[in-house]
Amino acid sequence: MPEVFIDGKRYEFEGKPMLLQFILDQGLEVPFFCYHPAMSIPANCRQCMVKVGTPVKDRETGEFEKDENGERKIRWFPNPQTSCSTPLQDGMVVHTQETSEEVARAQKDNLEFILVNHPLDCPICDQAGECPLQIQTYKYGPEGSRFEVKKVHKPKRVELGPRVTLDAERCINCTRCVRFTEEISGTNQLTIVQRGDDNYPQTAAGEEFDDPYSMNTVDICPVGALTSTDFRFKARVWEMNQTPSIDVTNGKGCNIDLWTRDNEVLRITPRENEEVNDYWMPDAGREAYKRFNENRVDRPSIKLDGNNQSNTSWNNAIETFAEVLEANNAEDILVIGSPHASVEENFAFNKFFNLLGSSNAKFIPHIIPGAGDDFLITDDQAPNTNGCRALNLDEVDSNSLQSAISGAKVVVILSDDLVGREILSATDLNDSYTICLTTNQTETTQASDLVIPITCVAEHAASYVNVDGRIQRSYPAKETKYTNRRLNLEMSEGRLDRFGTNFDNWVSEDNKVDCLPLWQFLNKLAERINLDFSYKHSRDVFDDIREQFEILSDISYERMDEENGVQLPIKQEEVKQA
Amino acid sequence: MAQDWKSFEPQLIPDIPNLQKIEVYEENGGYNALKKILNDQQEWSRDNVVNEVKQANIRGRGGAGFNAGLKWSFMPDPDGGPRYLACNGDESEPGTFKDRKIFEFNPHLFIEGALIAAYAMTIDTIYVYIRGEYISWVEQLQDAVDDAYEQGYLGENILGTDISIDLEITYGAGAYICGEETSMLESLEGKRGYPRVKPPFPAQKGLWGRPTTINNIETLANVPLVINNGADWYSDVGAEEHPGPVLYGISGHVNQPGVYEYPTGVPVLELINDVAGGIRGGKELKALIPGGSSTPVLRADQLEGVTMNSDSLKEAGSMMGTAGMVVMDEDTDMVDVLWRIAHFYHHESCGQCTPCREGTGWLEKVLLKIKNGNGEMKDLDLLLDVGNQMEGRTICALADAAVWPVRHTINRFRDEFEARCKKSSHAVA
Repeated sequence: MPEVFIDGKRYEFEGKPMLLQFILDQGLEVPFFCYHPAMSIPANCRQCMVKVGTPVKDRETGEFEKDENGERKIRWFPNPQTSCSTPLQDGMVVHTQETSEEVARAQKDNLEFILVNHPLDCPICDQAGECPLQIQTYKYGPEGSRFEVKKVHKPKRVELGPRVTLDAERCINCTRCVRFTEEISGTNQLTIVQRGDDNYPQTAAGEEFDDPYSMNTVDICPVGALTSTDFRFKARVWEMNQTPSIDVTNGKGCNIDLWTRDNEVLRITPRENEEVNDYWMPDAGREAYKRFNENRVDRPSIKLDGNNQSNTSWNNAIETFAEVLEANNAEDILVIGSPHASVEENFAFNKFFNLLGSSNAKFIPHIIPGAGDDFLITDDQAPNTNGCRALNLDEVDSNSLQSAISGAKVVVILSDDLVGREILSATDLNDSYTICLTTNQTETTQASDLVIPITCVAEHAASYVNVDGRIQRSYPAKETKYTNRRLNLEMSEGRLDRFGTNFDNWVSEDNKVDCLPLWQFLNKLAERINLDFSYKHSRDVFDDIREQFEILSDISYERMDEENGVQLPIKQEEVKQA
Repeated sequence: MAQDWKSFEPQLIPDIPNLQKIEVYEENGGYNALKKILNDQQEWSRDNVVNEVKQANIRGRGGAGFNAGLKWSFMPDPDGGPRYLACNGDESEPGTFKDRKIFEFNPHLFIEGALIAAYAMTIDTIYVYIRGEYISWVEQLQDAVDDAYEQGYLGENILGTDISIDLEITYGAGAYICGEETSMLESLEGKRGYPRVKPPFPAQKGLWGRPTTINNIETLANVPLVINNGADWYSDVGAEEHPGPVLYGISGHVNQPGVYEYPTGVPVLELINDVAGGIRGGKELKALIPGGSSTPVLRADQLEGVTMNSDSLKEAGSMMGTAGMVVMDEDTDMVDVLWRIAHFYHHESCGQCTPCREGTGWLEKVLLKIKNGNGEMKDLDLLLDVGNQMEGRTICALADAAVWPVRHTINRFRDEFEARCKKSSHAVA
């Protein structure tokens, strides 16, 4: 197998890897800015320079030539090479900054150049804390600057588009953003304008950067030049907790991180998963953070007289729910599951009513033909359509749902704004007692007689099956009234959790929603009506699911964690329909 | 070197009135080289043409001085897909203004050379890239191209053979970097002029990913001379390792600036004194930039015995470049000169690579500080150090081109720079 010697150690390689990526894959480090594994290699930042040599071979015999010590003769490149653009060759010898003064000096020199016109405004720069330039400068840069003449001042606070703001002064012209619009999103909306140290990324005159994936450029910008207009100056990374989760705004289930501070989700960024979304996510998914914080159903509410809803106690809500169930025959209760709710929620919901004697829950996919693209936005507007199918819920259309409702005395709706998405009208629900278990205020909750607040994807551990049949899970990022970050081992720990004192309270009570996980609410309801239904954790719910559904039998939370989601054996035709 | 360089009869721009007209060109033996090849393709197989040019040792006139025939031989075998010849007429280095003479006075010689090159490399499309500001050259060349099409030298079935070659003129928007060969390819493709990382080299992956050869205009104009007169004749002209006629563009403080055609290897001082009429106002020669602003400047006392060819100039500490000679007299302020050159490279850096983008500006700003009388002694070492940080660390050679004048001007005229810095240090002392 071909071999390469990096800093004196021998490694074997296959195929034709590039040197920088190979170095990174070995867990070694060489600083870089412009390189991004998902995009073309421009080799323009010149930061990843290393010393490279190749062994000299005898032209006739093809044997390596040896020096007087019996060592292979090495022909060194006269200048340091950018490792990102150097393909590995058999016998290549590489010295990084670890073993070569010359390389360390070259990298230091380059950082000095990058910093001459870069404003040293780290204390106010939004990128502070996750700025590769700051990190690399600290590790490999010069200790001071010899630049004593005037810096170039490029435009500041340029609104490139509705969601991205440019501070051209900070731009180091790595062209990652430009290449993103050329190679990934395909809109070609950005280019570099001006020349030399005056240049910066910009749109064509009169055009705006409204690419549906525009905010990915903020993630990949190695400095604070491109910022999210929405998130700018809201928080610092070290103040926030970072929790892995799943994008629930469409069917792709992009892997994401939820960034929370004081129990509010302030930012959503993509989490790398080669099988699903690579490094990217649509802008729409990032804006979903608002729905986790705002307009939440907080405490149960009940319609007392006319159309006025008022908050009520959990006890009263459970009592009312129980009375409605007791007053009606099971066959008169219509239960409607939801592609917007998790596998666990749909299962627990369906199981509860099956135990009462009701037939399987119905659900209506939320698909808007033509809404998707060939990338990460899908026609399917819900995160778990295939999850509902895997649980064999009854997939129906609008007409059959309406006729089912007309024959029902009680309608129980799980997390689906059926009125808002015009499956039903509010008047369709007039003749039945409507109970809605959901996360946010919607037109459907307005039309309901009893509304039960349940946890959203940012508050619970749950799984979702995406349009491609991949099951992936979320983790709780936000506390509710009844949970505690320090006691819940599933919750992420941020810097403040770890290093704050016992007297520090990083979560305001006002920012905790008064809601319960669906299964927990159903536990309480079951207790009240003496039903044999009890779970201690969503893991228990999933264990139950595994036993009952062959397709999920070898899936577990542990496996989903280890494999970053698991592909289910769902037929491709079914996938296409979603 | 033939002793009688003064009696050399110009070949590239001979003194024939209206040579730009196709009928005049034909009357004077024009397109004979092309006819010679196409009429006897067995004798003049593609390989034979390449070998003849290789043997003649035409050194690229764009500045790098690489053997043109050898460059042609790097083209891979045809695979049925398109292949291109890109002719570099983006002449914009300060001091360089020689290709214009060919465009204006002998465009058909270049067209003929390009056609022979295209034939030799099995190319059916030739692009000529001209800097956009020089629109009159575009028009003049276009007239010649139209005539060549009309007379059947270009287009389908050239001279009744089964060979078809098209030629298209493209003009840039006026960026120095677009004269860099890979940057020119980007510009030809309609993109921003950014140099490409090599490898892959253009012969493997050039225009639109296809094999492409890039030649300078003057280089191609030399090709018909080789075919007409033979490689032996050509390699006997001028300096041994760097043969052929050269267009010397002489500018600066001389009495008769202009473009002059002589063989390579002419003594530098004779070119200045005999050809360009000596230094203006009877002054003393102080310095010479031999081949465009990027080539290292030489002091007058370094020029004794130096001739205009790669080896001699290398020995003297400079380069042949484009043979665009900038002559400076005794009154020249080298600090001002260097600042002006640094200003040019700062202005023209494409901004792709960090060391060039930031370094060219840094060099210029420090030089401006010195020029304005605010320099300090440490600034001279800083300039040299910043230059060392830039050289050889970028994708293309623009950073090197910006560094060499700084390094050599400071080293060779250090007393002037020190004097200017001392002047400004009085305030502190």
